Amino acid sequence: MREFIDGAEAIARGAFAAGCNFFAGYPITPATPILLRMLRELPKTSGVGIQGEDEIASIGMCLGAAMTGAKAMTATSGPGLSLYSENIGLAITGEVPLVIVDVMRLGPATGGATTVSQGDVQFLRWVTSGGFPIIALCPSSIAECYSLTQHAFNLAERFRAPVFIATDKEMMSAQQSVNTDAFEKIEIINRVAAPAGGEFVPYQTKKLADIPAFAPIGGEQLTRLTGSMHDERGMLTKKTSAVNKTSRHLWQKIQAHRDELEFTKLDAQEGAATLVVSYGITARSATEAVRHTRAAGKLASSLIIQSLWPLPKRALRESMRGISRVIVPELNFGQYRQEVERIALSLDPRPEVIGVDRVDGELITPQEIEELFGRG
Amino acid sequence: MISTIDPRIMTFEQANLAPNDYKSEVHPIWCPGCGDFGVLSSFYKAVSEMHIPTERLVVASGIGCSGRFPAFVHAYGFHGTHGRVLPLATGIKMANPELVVVAAGGDGDAFSIGMGHLPHAIRRNVDITYIVMDNEIYGLTKGQASPTSPVGMERKASPYGTVETPLNPLLLALARGATWVGRGFSSKPKELVELIKQAMQHKGFSFLQVYSPCVTFYDTYDHFKQVTQPLPADHNSRDKMSAMKYAMSDETLYLGVYYQEERPTFDEGYAAKRAKAHAENYGVPQILSRFTR
Ligand SMILES: Cc1ncc(C[n+]2csc(CCOP(=O)(O)OP(=O)(O)O)c2C)c(N)n1
Ligand code: SF4
Ligand SMILES: [Mg+2]
Repeated sequence: MREFIDGAEAIARGAFAAGCNFFAGYPITPATPILLRMLRELPKTSGVGIQGEDEIASIGMCLGAAMTGAKAMTATSGPGLSLYSENIGLAITGEVPLVIVDVMRLGPATGGATTVSQGDVQFLRWVTSGGFPIIALCPSSIAECYSLTQHAFNLAERFRAPVFIATDKEMMSAQQSVNTDAFEKIEIINRVAAPAGGEFVPYQTKKLADIPAFAPIGGEQLTRLTGSMHDERGMLTKKTSAVNKTSRHLWQKIQAHRDELEFTKLDAQEGAATLVVSYGITARSATEAVRHTRAAGKLASSLIIQSLWPLPKRALRESMRGISRVIVPELNFGQYRQEVERIALSLDPRPEVIGVDRVDGELITPQEIEELFGRG
Repeated sequence: MISTIDPRIMTFEQANLAPNDYKSEVHPIWCPGCGDFGVLSSFYKAVSEMHIPTERLVVASGIGCSGRFPAFVHAYGFHGTHGRVLPLATGIKMANPELVVVAAGGDGDAFSIGMGHLPHAIRRNVDITYIVMDNEIYGLTKGQASPTSPVGMERKASPYGTVETPLNPLLLALARGATWVGRGFSSKPKELVELIKQAMQHKGFSFLQVYSPCVTFYDTYDHFKQVTQPLPADHNSRDKMSAMKYAMSDETLYLGVYYQEERPTFDEGYAAKRAKAHAENYGVPQILSRFTR
């Protein structure tokens, strides 16, 4: 069926397809469309949707619900993400499965509430204290809003971690005619349940990189968690061996599985010297620029990043081999370009990395990207 | 695996556990003489006397000396972030209304950093019990003034004495519309056990302030022994004006059940909302309304 929908609707539908049954959020442009849909639809199911008194409460409610077994999601924009920060840390250390949508808007503080931006890319990477890895996906079409939201839930369940969906104002509120029957349905996975009986140790794993089995609050096994540095029992500890183990586990559980976490779309053209690396709304302009360049008889390649974090190093490195120029268009001052540059440094010959940065609330046009192809 | 979220009436097979059975394997690290020991042992006794099975009991907390509470209870425990226990407890209760959820923490946790959440938990009438161990000081961070510290308190962080008027937690809870409000003292364990039991048996949000002195940074034992006394026998806990009158008293600090009333709880309200959503679902006007934004 062809439907006229926006990215917010697709994210909400993706969440339901993934089994989301808890949402709490605080209204903020341009994330409100997600809140509206979740609060409208959840009461029609056995799920719960709550408008919190602020963002700290909203994510807090999600954490409580998620540890009680719910599949929870929340959605906000930059100012709200700032307020989520501490409880995101709690989700990381408590290993709480949770999906967090960040609908990026322009600037620090209130910034441009109704203005598109990709300014939170590095903020998401370092969103809370401690410097631990996070997972962030980034859709560039309505269909991907649907599919990547399901992936986000799967990854949150699989890794028992907060998973971000980085998107922006245009993706959320520009309606488009799409064939919703063609939306990709993904096999849904749920957190691994702790085996019944026997002694349950909430954070015990065989290997450092393993994900601990889950027992919900209210389930068969007594379980506990703390935001403090803890031992396997979830008890606060200062013992260096236990602290070291927990720290390294939280690092390893993401880092050791980076291959599973790389989501990219490569459209390489044999012999092309120029590659455009893009993500989110900007990938649409990049795709159009590549199409146009090719139509003019020139060669061009494209890599679209669907998983911003952890950095998809393998895909970046492979797509940049033999390339002499990499174009990175972004609605910020080159936050992802610096990552691409770092990878370029390790390549021989080393490609030149150039950016197209826009921070005025307008989108990057295909022409702006195409010009740089032309110069190649 | 994922529990379905459906409000049910709280019924459970009664447990037959002694107070000691509710002790966890971790021994409290509080300073010897800390009032929180009194609150903890009263809590063990209260849940034992109410026959609450450990697998129905959740203790959530914020951060502070008092925030360590869940670690010492053999139950589900959630030791969260400073000031954020009420959202956590709300999420737990709404995700599984069958659970008996207790939130615990200190005066800084509740009335300073976390104060923004208290009126909303009250407004929603979330069916949980909030036990605030009020020592009128920040214990964990070593003795800074809290929102309930008296005027003129001199500490390292207030070397010239505090000038802020302490806030009155009971009046606040009453004014916001809490459906159960009480006050206890850690040195009056018999009364405290009763108060905890009544608070937990109350259907709706119960707010229990417990004076729980910090022997290390603000030893108020003698003070509270002198100024506290039970609420007068003529006080009717259904009379909000009377509750407010006694809550306003600052020379004599009254202990007991100040106020109680019945109002639909958040999960009951949500269930009603759900019934409405189900009834309205999939009608032609509803479908059409999705296209007329
Ligand atoms: C966001 C944040 N700010 C500050 C702190 C430091 N801190 C921990 S506990 C506490 C106050 C504790 O006082 P109270 O809540 O009264 O608990 P008590 O220790 O007296 O039981 C503070 C300021 C923190 N953990 N997190
Ligand atoms: S510092 Fe005060 S509040 Fe903390 S454990 Fe010691 S006596 Fe109790
Ligand atoms: Mg205190």
